[in-house]
Amino acid sequence: MFRIEPKKSEVVSFIVNGQLKEVILKGPNQTLAEVLRIKLDMTGTKESCQCGECGACTVLVEGEPVLSCSTLAIAVRGKRITTIEGLAEGGVLHPIQQAFIDSGASQCGFCTPGMILMAKVLLDENPEPTEDQIKEHLGGNLCRCTGYVKIIEAVQLAAKTMKSVGA
Amino acid sequence: MSSLHLKDFVYFEPTTTAEVTSLLAEHGAKARIMAGGIDLIPRMRAGSIKAEVVINIQKIPELSLFEYDPAKGFRFGAMVSLHTLDTCQELKKHFPIIQKAINQITSVQSKYMGTAVGNVCLATPASDVSPVLMVHDAELIIEGTQGVRTEKVADFYTAYYKTTLQQGEFVTGVSIPKVAEGTGAAFYNKVRTHADIAKITVAAVVNVQDGVFQDAKIALGAVAPVALRARSAEAVLQGQPISEELIQKAAEVAMNDGSPISDFRSNKEYRLDMIRVLVGRALNKAVNQAKGVQHV
Ligand SMILES: Cc1cc2nc3c(=O)[nH]c(=O)nc-3n(C[C@H](O)[C@H](O)[C@H](O)COP(=O)(O)OP(=O)(O)OC[C@H]3O[C@@H](n4cnc5c(N)ncnc54)[C@H](O)[C@@H]3O)c2cc1C
Ligand code: FES
Ligand code: FES
Repeated sequence: MFRIEPKKSEVVSFIVNGQLKEVILKGPNQTLAEVLRIKLDMTGTKESCQCGECGACTVLVEGEPVLSCSTLAIAVRGKRITTIEGLAEGGVLHPIQQAFIDSGASQCGFCTPGMILMAKVLLDENPEPTEDQIKEHLGGNLCRCTGYVKIIEAVQLAAKTMKSVGA
Repeated sequence: MSSLHLKDFVYFEPTTTAEVTSLLAEHGAKARIMAGGIDLIPRMRAGSIKAEVVINIQKIPELSLFEYDPAKGFRFGAMVSLHTLDTCQELKKHFPIIQKAINQITSVQSKYMGTAVGNVCLATPASDVSPVLMVHDAELIIEGTQGVRTEKVADFYTAYYKTTLQQGEFVTGVSIPKVAEGTGAAFYNKVRTHADIAKITVAAVVNVQDGVFQDAKIALGAVAPVALRARSAEAVLQGQPISEELIQKAAEVAMNDGSPISDFRSNKEYRLDMIRVLVGRALNKAVNQAKGVQHV
């Protein structure tokens, strides 16, 4: 049975945004958010409440949305992880990122990575969501600046551009 | 950002249920099961749960199984996520209030990560999931070093955040019996804001035969130290001809089944009155459904 003792070094790997990353964990008590932000220096993933309430720390594990503040890194070793850094391709922003800029849907930006990743999960599954479906899908993501209207507009705009470019 | 880090613990990843029970037996109260971890990890970080041993049950394949059998009912394992249940068409068709109670949880991520069994094992009085399982007479399948036993969800809670689980035991799944002809169900809760936990939850399932309450089950959440069945209100209905007066009487009696407190979400008086209002509303809706009346 797999076990890991406190402070014991364990080499684990993740496939982060398509790239194999190796990390040395010192014991099992590190969250996925800590590994991404501190060990891998990928600070696009934000940590705000650290208790599951705000959605800022959302990343995708095997395509499913996960709160990285409440996930043990050791438990998702070997898995495919998508963070906000993985969305742009060749220096071109993903249509959802572009739509957030064009709609003014980001102010301080703390909620934005989580919002965008949730929007991606939604639009990948449902390219033409209704306003209610967008609201429902973003129900676990809090924004303290923008006031949601522009965020919903951004997701609607992204849906339109993604449809027209067939992304 | 506050920088709270998780304290040290030993981490285990069993692949069979027998490994889990022997770990639990060995480590006792120092050990905690981790299912989705959505409740456990933040509490460990905040220090309100001190676990020296964490047992991750995510790698035990059989715990992710779920199945609807028309002859028996619905069964699901301890690792079946709230999201899987929310999107399960058979659950929605045969046990709509269970799907509804899960569906109205606002955080989509917490539904992908969190399990229904984790929600039940948390033993919070404010669970939306426990009351709907209780009125459907759901049973927990509990495995220990001595073997397997079952326990009704309605008998699982002993006190605030306490269950009947003994050292070495954990819940492997839930079994919900099939629904008889002439059954109707309803679920209501009241919240401050949609993302907050409920200040009161009410669920009811009734079986109606020839205008008589053949069976009536009512459960209440967030109005006592544990989620519970409103047994004295149920007794008012059992075997009696259906009438609005009888329903209102049961709704009033249900106020004695709860023992709400005042807190920042609501106060005792309001909660008591809402037991009456929502139990009445839930019974009427369930009865109409049982009789095949479309609810508008
Ligand atoms: C943002 C947010 C919103 C929420 N909103 C709601 C809501 O509206 N209504 C509602 O009812 N709930 C709500 N919840 C609660 C949520 O449903 C539960 O926290 C979740 O289902 C717990 O499941 P888990 O698998 O993550 O459990 P874990 O965190 O892994 O475990 C929870 C507890 O149960 C124990 N445990 C878990 N599985 C077992 C088992 N098989 N046998 C024995 N013990 C076990 C653990 O040791 C731990 O103590 C919300 C949670 C969050 C984070
Ligand atoms: S930081 Fe993870 S949910 Fe808020
Ligand atoms: S833009 Fe500041 S929290 Fe959303």
